[in-house]
Amino acid sequence: MDGGVERLRTIQLTKTFPGVVAVDKVDFDVRPGEIHALVGENGAGKSTLIKILGGVYPPDGGQVVMDGREVVFSSTHESLASGISVIYQEFNLVPDLSVAENIFIGREPKTFGGTLVDFRRLNARAAEILATLEMPLDVKSYVSDISVAERQMVEIAKALSHDSRLIIMDEPTATLTEKEVRKIFEIVKNLRARGVAIIYISHRLEEAFELADRISVMRDGRKVDTRAIASTSKNDVIEMMVGKVVKEYFAEAGAREAPRQPLLEVRGYSVADAVEDISFTLHRGEILAFAGVLGSGVHGLLQSLFGVIPKKAGEVSFEGTPVHIDRPADAIRLGIGYVTEDRKNAGLLPAMSVLHNLTVIIIRALSFLRGLFIRDAAEMKSFAAIRARLDIKLAGPTQRIIFLSGGNQQKVLIGRTLLTDCKALILLEPTRGIDIGAKAEIHRILRELADKGLSIILTSSELPELVNLPDRCIVLYKGRKAAEFTRATMDSEKLVAAQIGHTGGARA
Amino acid sequence: MIRFLKLYEKFGIVIFIALGSIFLVSVTPNFLKLDTILNILAQAAHGAIVGFGMTMALTSGGFDLSVESIMALSSVFMAILIPVIGIPMAILVSVLIGSLVGVLNGLIIAKLKVNPLITTLSTATIIKGVALLVAGGRMIVIMQKRFMAIGTGKLLGIPVPIYLMALFFGLFYLVVYRSSFGRHVAAVGSNESAARISGLNVDLVKIGVYVLVAFTGAVASVIRTSQALIGMPSMSPGFVLVVLTITILGGTSLAGGRGNLWGTLLAAIFVSMIYYGLNLINVQVFYQMLAVGLVLMLALFIEGLRVRYLQAAKAKGIKV
Repeated sequence: MDGGVERLRTIQLTKTFPGVVAVDKVDFDVRPGEIHALVGENGAGKSTLIKILGGVYPPDGGQVVMDGREVVFSSTHESLASGISVIYQEFNLVPDLSVAENIFIGREPKTFGGTLVDFRRLNARAAEILATLEMPLDVKSYVSDISVAERQMVEIAKALSHDSRLIIMDEPTATLTEKEVRKIFEIVKNLRARGVAIIYISHRLEEAFELADRISVMRDGRKVDTRAIASTSKNDVIEMMVGKVVKEYFAEAGAREAPRQPLLEVRGYSVADAVEDISFTLHRGEILAFAGVLGSGVHGLLQSLFGVIPKKAGEVSFEGTPVHIDRPADAIRLGIGYVTEDRKNAGLLPAMSVLHNLTVIIIRALSFLRGLFIRDAAEMKSFAAIRARLDIKLAGPTQRIIFLSGGNQQKVLIGRTLLTDCKALILLEPTRGIDIGAKAEIHRILRELADKGLSIILTSSELPELVNLPDRCIVLYKGRKAAEFTRATMDSEKLVAAQIGHTGGARA
Repeated sequence: MIRFLKLYEKFGIVIFIALGSIFLVSVTPNFLKLDTILNILAQAAHGAIVGFGMTMALTSGGFDLSVESIMALSSVFMAILIPVIGIPMAILVSVLIGSLVGVLNGLIIAKLKVNPLITTLSTATIIKGVALLVAGGRMIVIMQKRFMAIGTGKLLGIPVPIYLMALFFGLFYLVVYRSSFGRHVAAVGSNESAARISGLNVDLVKIGVYVLVAFTGAVASVIRTSQALIGMPSMSPGFVLVVLTITILGGTSLAGGRGNLWGTLLAAIFVSMIYYGLNLINVQVFYQMLAVGLVLMLALFIEGLRVRYLQAAKAKGIKV
């Protein structure tokens, strides 16, 4: 590439976290007036890369060159001052301030010798920026009152107000409707016409192909390749994204025996803002995976099945009887367990010991006189059984759970549900934030549990987990069923293609 | 050092009591007399009993500012009812009425999802108003001298409030540490969403907690009313702050999930000791509040240092 024309270039950029090279010698560049799509599976290193550019992480090696000059960021402010704005999925807006105040936060025009905010000028300047981008937005409305798409626009306006020459957008359309997506597209194209360089991260391949000029694929921390959109195809990109999925864990579990009894039957199931008309059957001893990227509704579906969020429509029967699950307690009573994807906020009881975390669901059953006196011996017996079965490593039952490793915490949460003798177990992202060794162990445990007759529904954003672990995998895209694979028909490229809305199949 | 800090988390209050004792012994020879000690313990009773309830509220991640008003309401009803239905029934009914305020608090907090601070602040004001209305704005003198036995009587040479304090400690010990309800309270205080996903009836747990706090308030009111022989619609102003001081000084976390009943008991005794000791050396009552406040500030300061030290040790890779 001819030097000097890039807006931003990274040279051998590297970032290592304990045990993993998140970004590995990445050479990447983006030009003025270019939309550069950045794609890759979860864990490929995209997020780390943009966080380095945004000044969140300092790199361990390599350089960042902005407009021909090497830059080193020790904070997000310095990155912003160099002309880079990063719009993260979770926005950086203050909900209780107006659109205009958010755009100019910390830089409000002042009056009365710099003591008061000059709201007239503030609103006028904000309106001016919104007008240049043709954003139909009232500068005086509160951010808490506007839609996600409109918040996206506010972030973009904020970036422009900083005179940013490079805007990095992390999955801007994941949770938007089709109409909103079109509007954001227009704005992004408008930015390109104004000479702004854009790095566009998306899970939806068709968007990348519609919008971008070039596309770069990352995998396992490395950049696989950068291609001009005109000279590549979706199939090529998918192939680059997937690479070789190593069959790491239990290479071939052998043919699973023929049809089993159904345990959980779900018909015409809909959840607001998540899924529409989903039907499936979970059999005894089966591991069923649901795959889908952000915005596919997978998490909403599984949360609703357990009663965490309400369903909109649909019928569920369990062991052949129609059931109503309105609250988690209903599901637990039926014999359904649940392990959250959000260990910290919805799973762990951080102030409590491992023992108390483990027995919290069944503690009443472990007591005399309707819960009046806890039977210590029974509680310790449950603890010992789960500790041995899941091989939890800890100092002792009274150790506080927050001092365990992520993998062991996850085992405690799985153990918590196993103590209820559940027949079905729903797991969201069972190995998120867990090191490689513990991942393999949790996979082995889940397989063993299934072999002993437990039915498992799980969802994961990690490809190897979806390819290797389940007996069957249903792919959702934008709330609807897009594909289904069995062990025999599983194909990692087709799976990825279905997840990102490329329904033709990888070899089509 | 780390071992010491872990011990401090549990028994820091013992150090305060030891230092306080040394101070009091050095300023007055009367301190080590049995009478003095029994007196200090008896004076600690009502603070400790409400402290047990407050420990539970903080463990559940909540708060109760209305105990003071609940005490006033129960006190007024006792004074009115004793001549009408006799002492035992009057106690029963007024404790029941006090506990009902807890039902109200619990319902508002659990069902309407109003912040406990705001809820109990408003019920505190309302209930105090009700107490004043019922009493017609006056103190009501209780003529039945027998009623005094509860607050000032002695059994086998030991003041009755000490027995009550011991009884309630035992009761709350069972509830907090030995019952599934206590476990559920800690779970709700530790992480409400996790508790909900674990199938716990979070609303019921919260209502239960506020009923228990109100109950302790009403019982403390029986002791105080009996000691004064007056139904007081404006009983013990500022008492709720003393109770919070006791609970926090005892090591119960404001963040929820971890209650320390032993700490509360010892802190109540410690606060009573300060009051008594300063009285002995003729320090004005204003300075007593000041002293308790300063001790609380010191305790929180040390706690802050402790947590930071442990975090720093953890960051350096030292096992904590």
